[in-house]
Amino acid sequence: MLTPEENTKITRVGRGTPAGELFRRYWIPACLSTELPEPDGAPLRVRLLGEDLIAFRDSDGNPGLVDAYCPHRRAPLFFARNEECGLRCVYHGWKFDRHGNCTDMPSEPAGTTLQAKVKLPAYPTYEKGGVVWAYLGPKELMPDAPDYEWLRAPPEKRNVSKTYENCNWLQGLEGGLDTAHSSFAHNNHIGNTDVLRQRDRSPHIDVERTDYGYYYVSTRDMGDEGNYLRVYHYVMPAQQMRANVMGWFGGKNVVPRLDGHVWVPIDDHSTFVYNWNCAYDATIEMSDEWKLKRESEMGRGPDEMIPGTFRLKRNQSNDYMINRAKQKTQTFTGIEGINTQDFALQEGMGPICDRSKEFLGTSDKAVVAMRRLLLDAINVVQNGGQPRGADARTYRTVRPHDRIIPKGTNWRDIFEKELIAKW
Amino acid sequence: MLTAAENERVTRVGPGTPCGNLLRRYWLPACLSSELPEPDGAPLRLRLLGEDLIAFRDSDGQLGLVDAYCPHRRAPLFFARNEECGLRCVYHGWKFDRAGNCVDMPSEPAGTTLQARVKLVAYPCFEQGGVVWAYMGPKDKEPPHPDYEWMRAPDSQRHVSKTFEGCNYLQGLEGGLDTAHSSFAHNNNLTSKNELRLRDKAPRIEVERTDYGYTYSSHRSLGDDGFYVRAYHYFMPTGQQRGHVRTWDGKMTAVPRNFGHIWVPIDDVTTWVYNIHYNCDPHVQLTPELIAEHEAEFGRAPEDIIAGTFRLKRNRSNDYMIDRAAQKTKTFTGIAGVNTQDFALQENMVQGNMEPICDRSKEFLGTSDKAIVAMRRLLLEAIAVVEAGGDPRGLNPASHRSVRAWDNIVPTGADWQSVLAPDLMTQW
Repeated sequence: MLTPEENTKITRVGRGTPAGELFRRYWIPACLSTELPEPDGAPLRVRLLGEDLIAFRDSDGNPGLVDAYCPHRRAPLFFARNEECGLRCVYHGWKFDRHGNCTDMPSEPAGTTLQAKVKLPAYPTYEKGGVVWAYLGPKELMPDAPDYEWLRAPPEKRNVSKTYENCNWLQGLEGGLDTAHSSFAHNNHIGNTDVLRQRDRSPHIDVERTDYGYYYVSTRDMGDEGNYLRVYHYVMPAQQMRANVMGWFGGKNVVPRLDGHVWVPIDDHSTFVYNWNCAYDATIEMSDEWKLKRESEMGRGPDEMIPGTFRLKRNQSNDYMINRAKQKTQTFTGIEGINTQDFALQEGMGPICDRSKEFLGTSDKAVVAMRRLLLDAINVVQNGGQPRGADARTYRTVRPHDRIIPKGTNWRDIFEKELIAKW
Repeated sequence: MLTAAENERVTRVGPGTPCGNLLRRYWLPACLSSELPEPDGAPLRLRLLGEDLIAFRDSDGQLGLVDAYCPHRRAPLFFARNEECGLRCVYHGWKFDRAGNCVDMPSEPAGTTLQARVKLVAYPCFEQGGVVWAYMGPKDKEPPHPDYEWMRAPDSQRHVSKTFEGCNYLQGLEGGLDTAHSSFAHNNNLTSKNELRLRDKAPRIEVERTDYGYTYSSHRSLGDDGFYVRAYHYFMPTGQQRGHVRTWDGKMTAVPRNFGHIWVPIDDVTTWVYNIHYNCDPHVQLTPELIAEHEAEFGRAPEDIIAGTFRLKRNRSNDYMIDRAAQKTKTFTGIAGVNTQDFALQENMVQGNMEPICDRSKEFLGTSDKAIVAMRRLLLEAIAVVEAGGDPRGLNPASHRSVRAWDNIVPTGADWQSVLAPDLMTQW
């Protein structure tokens, strides 16, 4: 439970808000690299933390991220000409490079001093892992570029996608740090008692704080076979990492891998979810065919998306095409697509969940711990300090893992090597 | 006229508002029985008095009406599994019965004490007359079930339908207690001189307060033919009932009936209108044809409704498909459907901020508005009574149990009350 004041503090992300200022201390995904496919291509509208921006790839192939409006008379730069290393506003021809410098002002007399004085707000960008990252915070506090393990995996061993979610980012992040719900919401095999997460539906959860956020271990009792452990990471401010080395039914997964999401606030009421995965190590094959199948299983394959958008066809407007007959006999929700199930629950809480009305249990331990870290970090930033997880050195070597271990053994001994990056 | 403050007081219905507290002292229609057709069927989203709720029919066929969000982490219960006498949230499997008790908490360790402490907000409901009724007020003040005559009529002799109206409930209720407008807005035969309501367009109105609200009669002079009297009832808080004994042109109907509406606030700016229609004479039969004819005349035949909803195709977005040519020569409004005409007028009464709540501080009322003024006064008084800890009018079903409405032609000089008295007694 949060007080209404805490709930406001932790969820709002506009410039000047407490959580907004926290987010502005990290590199965050601005768009996929594939959304800016070529130099001098069409500018892309991007809304990030409530700010309307334009992303573009300049003639040299470098991404720029600038204010969506020309500083002259606020004409929309979406219609700008992307040419010769800059955006040229089509209203009066003023031109800006990706750093926001005005490099041409043809509507003013030659030698105007205005050109040197005018700046277009521009944010630093960094492209890695198929993602264009941006830093929207104070220049002097900019941390080193992000360096998560999955960013270092080669493209053929990695997949990154993006989905639009119509609610506040925190509802998404909470679902991502909540292994318990997967025994229910993601039970797509009603009556099948072999699914690991069905064999124990009230996992025991231990949380350990770290310099990047925390890791947590969920333990499910598998009887004589031992305990099924899943180690997740919460990398601040809004990333989850989990392992799918084991399959749903036990044994090694078809493609043993690491999965995760980064929840990026578009504004207070909508979110882009970046979905990534990478192979467990270099020996694991990850075919394009498998990648497509996997995305479809999660509910966001090409057939599941509204063409030309990152929005799901199964959405709020059609109750996610819930099939009540299927819900009776086949799947717990009657909704297809694992992350579509999440969206139904998270978007259905309303644009911003009223956390003053909750009743939390022991299975919510990781959710509570994450909120506490965020509220702590908000205070740290307000007091001029550096929040957890901004420094890449804190998370560079971190990876998640899952495995069944014999009862009575120390999980740390068994997991130790597995929790160190292989890429 | 109301002051701006009185207008706020009598129109806002959310939890904790003066009128919201008043309405929460009565049993109110929550949905039609037919919206929950089978045990363990799909849960139904309901918004009532500004509260988001879920209605469901459990495995025993009993009704539940609960908060729309799971008390755990506020996941939407619309997606819940309706199974084995309860709703099971699909986020973490917590299960609640129709009384709001948590009966299973499988994501927590066995023996957790949390299960006994967690309650889902649940409102009592019961089913009668094809309607699911709910009580959303304080537990210790729950009144006996309402017992209107139509609820006792045999199913075949009654029809209840439901329509969505895009404005505050009070605009609807006011229209329902205003016989005068039917001489104008519902004049669908411009060239006729015979229709009773066209022969006298300025009815005299008498209001008499009762324990359930009031009864009011309108009197239209028909010259040598006498008076056309319509005796209506206002059932607090938001019910109207009227007779349909004489046809528009003054003939006796083959099946004398009562019509009525109950306006149930969805929230401050939208309303469910329940439309009631029943046969008053046990010796004749209300037929499906008569029901269909009435629904069509009033603008809500199946082909008038947007499929899968209770919304009219003729609505604000298309100006109710007004036909200006028909308005010149055939009907007073140019809009088809008697209640569609009402919606066109009521949904477009807006305040300065464009909220569809009529700004009653800007009105000029006349003598034909007497029944409306009386209804508002009753509501404001009842609001004050509830605030002072008392019981408002109309909670006791004994007050309305034996009452029905009627309309007829009364000879000049006769005492209308003595003439109509036997017809104003229930027969079901």
